[in-house]
Amino acid sequence: MLSEKSVPKTGENVWIWLLKIVTGVLVIALLFTHLVINHLVAPEGLLTYQEVVAYLSNPLVAVMEMSFLVIVVSHALVGTRSIVLDLNPSRGLLRLVDGLLLLVGVASVVYGVWLVQVIISQG
Amino acid sequence: MATPAKTEPNSPRNFLKWFDARWRDSGMWAFALNRLTAIGLTFYLFLHLGVLSTLARGPEAYGSFLQLIKSPVFVFGEFLVVIAGLYHGLNGIRIVLTSFGIAVPYQKQLFYVLFLLAVIGSVIFGIRMFTV
Repeated sequence: MLSEKSVPKTGENVWIWLLKIVTGVLVIALLFTHLVINHLVAPEGLLTYQEVVAYLSNPLVAVMEMSFLVIVVSHALVGTRSIVLDLNPSRGLLRLVDGLLLLVGVASVVYGVWLVQVIISQG
Repeated sequence: MATPAKTEPNSPRNFLKWFDARWRDSGMWAFALNRLTAIGLTFYLFLHLGVLSTLARGPEAYGSFLQLIKSPVFVFGEFLVVIAGLYHGLNGIRIVLTSFGIAVPYQKQLFYVLFLLAVIGSVIFGIRMFTV
């Protein structure tokens, strides 16, 4: 298997495959930033409530964390779809799974935006 | 690759052979670990997003949540997340490279190097997480 290239799976649109690869690279970069700020900058190793409020009140940080949310959720959901594809689903089942994954993705981002708004409003 | 089986590969008679990894290709291991860590990290992602809702419930709720996750059970869980993240991210670099046709003939060696880095990184994080 290692002698072959990574290629789109059967039933996997080439753009979805590319999305998985591109978001994968972005997750590495953003995860690194996210972890350094959340664990190395904070004196106790984790941000306290006031530190979280101050941190997210920086517009650049809020945009970075929101982008990270969209990218990491996309990567997780496209990856979940890859696993489903390997189980040879029927067309109908795949459509259902696609709908559910899209719903989970949209709900996660709406939740994230809501949470950031609530946190910033505490400042 | 696996030695050719005389009976159906998935038949119950061959059940024990599923766990016989001796003749399997390293690619099977790379793939299986990538998928296993993917499932774990996806679970953690949504758990992480969910527990951050304590931030919406104010400083006391978030403070007691921070206290809770400092207990050894949660630190061990986080350590599993670190191991999975390191493996998945480093192996992912190989997948990205080979996706664009880079280093395809050397990807076995590349896999071993990245796997070693994941092991070393996990040991360093383990020492830091359980001794500080």
